[in-house]
Amino acid sequence: MFVSILINGLVSGAVYAILAIGFSLIFGVAKIMNMAHTAFYMLTAFLILGAITFLDVPLPLAAIASIIVAGLLGVVCYKLCFDRIKVHETAVMIISVAIAMLFEETILLTFGAQYQRIPPFVEGYFELGGVSILNQHFFTAGASIATLVGVWLLLSKTKLGMSIRAVDQDREIANVMGINVTKTSMQVMGISVILAGVAGAVTAPTIMVNPLMWTNPLVIVLSAVVLGGLGSIKGSAIAAFILGYAETLVVFLVPDGSFLRGAVSLIAMVLVLLIRPEGLFGVAFEEERL
Amino acid sequence: MSLYLEVKNLSVLYDRAIVLNGLSLHVNSGELVSLVGPNGAGKSTLLNAMSGLIKWQHDTLKGTVSGKITLNGSVKFDGAELINLPAHEIARKGIILCPERGRPFREMTVQENLEVGALFLDKKVADDNLEKVYALFPVLKKRSSQVAGTLSGGERTMLSIGRSLMSEPKILLIDEPSVGLAPLIKDSLFERIRDVQGMGVTILLTEQDVSFAFDLASRNYVISRGKIIAEGTSQELLANELIRETYLGL
Ligand SMILES: Nc1ncnc2c1ncn2[C@@H]1O[C@H](COP(=O)(O)OP(=O)(O)O)[C@@H](O)[C@H]1O
Ligand SMILES: [Mg+2]
Repeated sequence: MFVSILINGLVSGAVYAILAIGFSLIFGVAKIMNMAHTAFYMLTAFLILGAITFLDVPLPLAAIASIIVAGLLGVVCYKLCFDRIKVHETAVMIISVAIAMLFEETILLTFGAQYQRIPPFVEGYFELGGVSILNQHFFTAGASIATLVGVWLLLSKTKLGMSIRAVDQDREIANVMGINVTKTSMQVMGISVILAGVAGAVTAPTIMVNPLMWTNPLVIVLSAVVLGGLGSIKGSAIAAFILGYAETLVVFLVPDGSFLRGAVSLIAMVLVLLIRPEGLFGVAFEEERL
Repeated sequence: MSLYLEVKNLSVLYDRAIVLNGLSLHVNSGELVSLVGPNGAGKSTLLNAMSGLIKWQHDTLKGTVSGKITLNGSVKFDGAELINLPAHEIARKGIILCPERGRPFREMTVQENLEVGALFLDKKVADDNLEKVYALFPVLKKRSSQVAGTLSGGERTMLSIGRSLMSEPKILLIDEPSVGLAPLIKDSLFERIRDVQGMGVTILLTEQDVSFAFDLASRNYVISRGKIIAEGTSQELLANELIRETYLGL
């Protein structure tokens, strides 16, 4: 049981962390509260499904291509919608919900409402401490953690990463230090959606994909962002792991816990908002960043 | 000497409030010029307009109340018009703003802040510049791995000047460097600004502290309510009874 909790928590936590980081990045850099973030996660899963069933593309290639297509679509959404109205933060949020619904309906019309399966990237299972764990779960955890390391390297070691962090902290000063904030915002939109796509691709084989699969992760991402502190990239990643493990603990330790799974992050979000609205690591909502 | 930086008839309106009212001034190559005036006179607005920030606010906040900004007039650098350029392009031409109170990237380390300044230069050049900045401001070297949000006021100002120097600027626009600093730190900052000028960097700085500004600069402008109301060397301005009493409060 201990091993199961450890691995399952790690898998969920790492995937949530990828989603939460992507969401935080585009919010921090462009002030876009992208409610369609996890819709891109759902979309990627279905792009993969479409590619392997209709086009007979091998799975790894389908996954990579789908992630790239999703990223490009994200940039298109940015250019067509967000970029024009991004000063009106409420309008941005409404538009992003509309985009998510659009994706959902399109997928519903194309693929139907039924739950469908995507084959695993790696077959078989592995015995560890008396429990058997699907190799796919190791793959999901490994790929997610590799992605997190990749994001960390990008942000801390590259010029693009340095620009992103500068814009995230103070757009005006980044601007007068020679950073093209508009361009950086667009790049971050691409990166953010690619991260959502990676999360979708590595998760898809572990769940049943369906057009509504974006709503629950969205709640988790929002909770992670509240828990970690709106605006704190690192905070939201840590919070995502906390939520991943909290959910797993509830599923394994509470009788009928799997029914409560979805409630865990909601409860966490409400509690944090009531007790410590600035989150564990972040700045208070009131203390707006420039 | 050529007209290096030339501001002509610059006007900035926030909604209907006139903040800069047809302001003109110029800075020659290699000069250190000061702009003194009371709080709210429009000093920061002038530097922000010159560095492209006002245009950026106008473009980005379009459609909101704070975006109702009118910007008119001309800012020429080395003969090229800047008024319609985006802020990042103005910066890449070598005109760099050191904002009021430094405004470091608070969650980055001191060294990372400096590195942002040299983002568009080769690694080798950036490393050389880092050495130079650390030699000029040893305190920054001491604090290199400290998060910038924890710096004192004087250190923040030095960091922002250092950050600007990293990009090999042609002209620095320094906004109220001495504001809120203890006398000793003020003195040391005074010397460092001298050193920066000695490195061949042209400087336009704003100040409320008239003696700080006048001792540094070779030429001064007095600003009041968005207009230049006097110009001259320190001696000339101090000799004028009316200006001394009404605008400089000396
Ligand atoms: N964003 C803004 N919106 C409206 N008014 C502003 C804004 N920024 C500055 N002002 C006004 O412009 C005037 C000049 O401000 P500022 O340039 O900061 O003066 P200084 O730097 O000389 O103290 C002030 O009266 C201030 O209230
Ligand atoms: Mg000011």
